[in-house]
This record gives sequence, structure tokens and C-alpha cells, in this order.
Amino acid sequence: MIKDEKIELKEFYEIRKDVLQTWPTGRNVSIEEGIKFHRTIPEERRFALVMSKARKKRLTLLQPRAGVALIDDHIKLLRYLETEGQADLLPTTIDAYTRQNRYEEAEKGIERSKQTGSSMLNGFPAVNYGVEGCRRVVESLSKPLQIRHGTPDARLLAEITLAAGFTSFEGGGISYNIPYAKRVPVEKSLGDWQYVDRLVGLYEENGVKINREPFGPLTGTLVPPCISIVSGIIEGLLALRQGAKSITLGYGQGGNIIQDVAAIASLRELAEDYFHRAGFDDFELTTVFHQWMGGFPEDEAKAFSVIAFGAIVARLSGAEKVIVKSPHEAMGIPTKEANAQGLRTTRQAINMVEDQVVLHPEDIRIELELIKKEVHCLIDKVYELGKGDIAIGTVAAFEAGVLDIPFAPSIYNHGKIIPMRDNEGFIRIFNQGNLPLSDEIMAYHRERLNERARAEGRPISFEMVTDDIYAISKGKLVGRPR
Amino acid sequence: MEKEKDTIVIGVIGSDCHSVGNKILELFFTSEGFKVVNLGVMVSQQEFVDAAIETNAKAILVSSLYGHGEIDCQGFRDLCIEKGLDSIILYVGGNLVVGKTPVSVVEEKFKKMGFDRVFPPDIDLKQVAELLRQDIKERFGSSSKEQEAKDQSEQDSQPDQKNPGDEGSQNNLTGQDNQNNMKEPEGFKVK
Repeated sequence: MIKDEKIELKEFYEIRKDVLQTWPTGRNVSIEEGIKFHRTIPEERRFALVMSKARKKRLTLLQPRAGVALIDDHIKLLRYLETEGQADLLPTTIDAYTRQNRYEEAEKGIERSKQTGSSMLNGFPAVNYGVEGCRRVVESLSKPLQIRHGTPDARLLAEITLAAGFTSFEGGGISYNIPYAKRVPVEKSLGDWQYVDRLVGLYEENGVKINREPFGPLTGTLVPPCISIVSGIIEGLLALRQGAKSITLGYGQGGNIIQDVAAIASLRELAEDYFHRAGFDDFELTTVFHQWMGGFPEDEAKAFSVIAFGAIVARLSGAEKVIVKSPHEAMGIPTKEANAQGLRTTRQAINMVEDQVVLHPEDIRIELELIKKEVHCLIDKVYELGKGDIAIGTVAAFEAGVLDIPFAPSIYNHGKIIPMRDNEGFIRIFNQGNLPLSDEIMAYHRERLNERARAEGRPISFEMVTDDIYAISKGKLVGRPR
Repeated sequence: MEKEKDTIVIGVIGSDCHSVGNKILELFFTSEGFKVVNLGVMVSQQEFVDAAIETNAKAILVSSLYGHGEIDCQGFRDLCIEKGLDSIILYVGGNLVVGKTPVSVVEEKFKKMGFDRVFPPDIDLKQVAELLRQDIKERFGSSSKEQEAKDQSEQDSQPDQKNPGDEGSQNNLTGQDNQNNMKEPEGFKVK
């Protein structure tokens, strides 16, 4: 059974033998060689250091998502985002076949991309290229590089890309399973991510800091802040246990400015608190704000507005990093030009609010206190279910529906909670499913939703949820009746 | 006797895990009077075809949001024919290729692959339901007696047959076990 304990090195190396055999490029991966290479990477290309500086200087750094099938094209794309897009941090987004460990299909995608001359994959198939191919990417760029994906079992991907010189790795056992997979048991993904974090810990023990970033937005669809925050704190705790020290916790824009600013503030405060309570003191915590993750307007002019709005709120929230969308979001994978446009839109918006004082008026405080209460309800229950062990508790919590992520594809998720927007666009919980939120909290959510029902002259209904899901792509925040 | 509902199979193909739209399609087509067999996300061609055979479906509606649709859908029609589904209606919709591409180019690509209709992501669902009813009528006529008899006997022998791939979490948005003032979805306003 899974436990929140540091994996013994002997056990780690035993698992490792099997992991490296799952695809030919795994055979010669050397952690020792990887560590040596990392020591040669200049400071300005080390993710953890750059994030740490952003925290001290109170900056909000810009990072796009990007990845294509062929190495040379991928390098070209990232260079373009570096120069034309002025990105502060670079990604390498992994294709969907690799995320499901379907390397044969990724291979076919590479072949077909070579034939057609355009990318037939929605990301970079890093495993198929192995350490050598990935290192070509690392050596071609001058900004810190992170692997961004959605992989329930990312052990081989982590082995290869960290050895190649990537300095940050996104994901976690909850956030890269429940929203990204159908039939992966929570216990399995938590265990596989303990391996990834142990690997990060191993680099750390050798003086190489790898930044770890749990994926905050989850399904990106009306996710109440408390759910996202709890997931991030749990994944942060699990990563710290295995020896990771640079943690960036994320949150996806909900749409209401007050709620979003309060969410980042409470995320930071709560994570610090829970990490210290669990006995961790030697860590560096930063935050990342994801611009709107739901459906986008097709009209590029409108899409720019969604991007700029996300940029402004990211800045107001004080997050150290913002993940940037492109005006092609409604149509899928953007061209490099569209991607760079998203970055420039974001830069302009951030620059315009950068020096403005962030006010913490009463309503931000109210929302912050509410989120904190909710998170305490949820995490306390997870600890209780695990009899003090957060890993055991997390498995039990998903079984019981105590943790429940709306609209997720996983069969191991209850999918019973129903979120919707209140009259001011705050994401509230209508049906709590089995979430152990107190009556007082639920009464507040209900009251705010009733306000909307009264204003719209219709009863609270499922129609409101579907209206809300499509609202932003159709030009508004709240899905009002037409 | 009440008219037998037409069965359709829906799902998201390949390694695609976009689940939100899939849940909404299930609710929408159910509210439009179809019997919906929802296979959920990450469905292989074989699973689509098996489910269509098993449930005697008239149409398969394939979704793809992540850009690999072109690879995932190769040979779909051939597999249908190979398995004896000669006249099944095939629809596909979503963000089907990597990168912004004119709708007409995408449509031509997928029609060549044997799909009857190809839809962009912002299609009016009401329109799709209308086209689907027309296409079913054209291809199958108003249910032949044979068809009806077959449907009926299947219905009788397996009254509580569960949809394949329906493992609890798929039907969770119908509001059945929700608090009292939650209304079932009625008309959908998805554009």
C-alpha cells in the first residue's frame, strides 16, 4: 500500500530498472551524467533560481505553452517565443500519445510529420527523442525550460528530460491523473509521482535544484478554488517528502477578480502553513496563475481580451508566473505567431498594472477567509482518513468522494459536485456531493446562488451550469438566460 | 406502441481526455430523444465499432479536441465495413487537426476518410440533431419491421442492459441524486 514515506534508494533503483526498459531510449539514461550537465547550466537558465528571483523582486514572469513533433521545428518555435514573444520562461509541451505512454503511436506521429512537413502531434514527443534529442533543445535556448504535459505515469519522461537538462517539471499524482486519464487508480499515479519526486530529490541531494509545479487548474471548468488549492497542497507535501525543495503551486483563473486574487493569496498562505505543520522548513514556494483555461471565443479580437484580462488579474494576484494563452485557443494548437501575440498582449497588460497598489478591501478578505475555511475542512478530513498519512488519505478521499473534481474523465473520481457561478461570477458549489464542507459554508454558497436565481428569474438549474461553461466563449462571464 | 428511440454511440477518440463537452453531448442528445451510448473519453476505433454492433446503433459520433484527430480517425470507415457496419452514419467534430485550418479543408479531409458529416467546435448542436434525424431517416427509412422486431427482442432480453463504458462517472451530471430544487436539463442553449 502507498504511504507518504521517502522511497529508499535501493527500492528506487529497483523500480528504475523496469522504468528504463519501457522504451529503448530509456536504456542509457544516466542520472550521474545528468547531474554533471546541470552543473554547467548558467544561473539565468535555472528555473528554480529564476522563480526565486521573481519572488524577491515581486515580478510576474511570462510562460507560454508550446510543443511540436519535430526537433528542429520545436527549437524554431521556442526561439521565436523567446525573441518575438519575449517569454521569460519556456515550455516544452508534450504530445498526448506520450502522455499515455503510447510511444509507438508517437513514433508514427513523428514519421507522418516528416512526410507531411507539418506537426501531426499536439506536442513534443520527448521520450522518443531520448536524452540526446532533448538536450539539443536545451542547448539551443537561453531561457529556463520546463516540461509541461498531463502524464499519469511520467517516470520515464522525467528520467529522460531531467537528464537532458530541463530544470522544471510540471504535474502530480492527482492533477495529472484525474483530469487527464480514464482508468488510472489514484494509488498508482500517486506512487508513480513519488518516483518522479524522488528523482527530483536525488538531483537536489547532488546540488541540482529542479523546480516542481503541481497543475492547479485541474479540469479548468468551474473548479472551486478550494478544490484546486487542496490538490496543490497535497501534491506539494508529497513532493517535499521525496526531497523536492522548489515548489510552484498553481491556480487557474476563475473569472471573478476578487475570488481569483483571494485564491492566490490563500493558496500561498495555506501551503506555507501546511508545509510547516508537516515539518518542512527548507523549501521555496512560488505561485503560478493560469489565464482562463475554459472555452475561448473564436473571434481573435475577443480572445485577446480574455488573455489581457487574465494578465491583469495574474498581476493583481501577485503570482510569480503567468501561463499565457493564444488568440487561437478556440481552434486548438496555435501557430508560433499567434502564440507570440498572446505573450505580447499579456506583457502590455501586466506592464500597465504592474506598479499599481494592490488593494485588499473587505470583500477580498471575506473570500480569503471562506477559502481558508473550506480548505481546512477538506485537508483535515484527508489527514483523518489517512490516520495522519496524506498519501493514504488522498486515496481514501477520492474513494469516498471527499475529494471530487468537477467534469473530470477519471472513473476514480465521484463527479458528484456541481459548481456554478453566482450573480457576480464567483464560482460557488451548488451540490457538495461528499465534500466535507460545513453547513455554514454551504449555506453561504447556497445563498449566493439564490441571489443569482432571483436576479435571473429562474430556478437554480443544470442549465445554468452549461450556460456558465460556454459563457466566456460567447462573450460573457456569467451564463445568463437569453 | 411508442416509437423505438434511435441509438447513437458517442465518445472522444484516441488519447484525448477532454471530458467536459462529452458530458454535455450526452445530456443534449438524450434530451433530443436519442438513446445515447456514451463511451466517454479515450476511446479506440475498435471500442466505437464494438459498441455500435452491440447496441445496434444507427450512428457513431466521434469527438476530438486535441489535434490528433487526423491520425486517430484513419481507417475508421474501413473498420466499420470490415465489421459489417456497412451503412452506419459517421459524424466527427471538434478541433480535428493541429493548428488553425479552414473549416472547408478539414471537412474535405475527413469526408475523404468516409465521415458523412464534419463539424467545427462551435457548431449549433440543435442543427446537428436535426441533420442526424434526417440522415437516419434517409439511410434507414422509418424503422423497417425487421429492424423494429430486432430492436424489440434485444430490448426484451436485456431490459437493464448497461451502456458499455458507462462506469458510474459518466452519468453524473443528470442531476438525479441532487438536491430537490435541481431541475433536469430541458432545452439546451448550447450555441
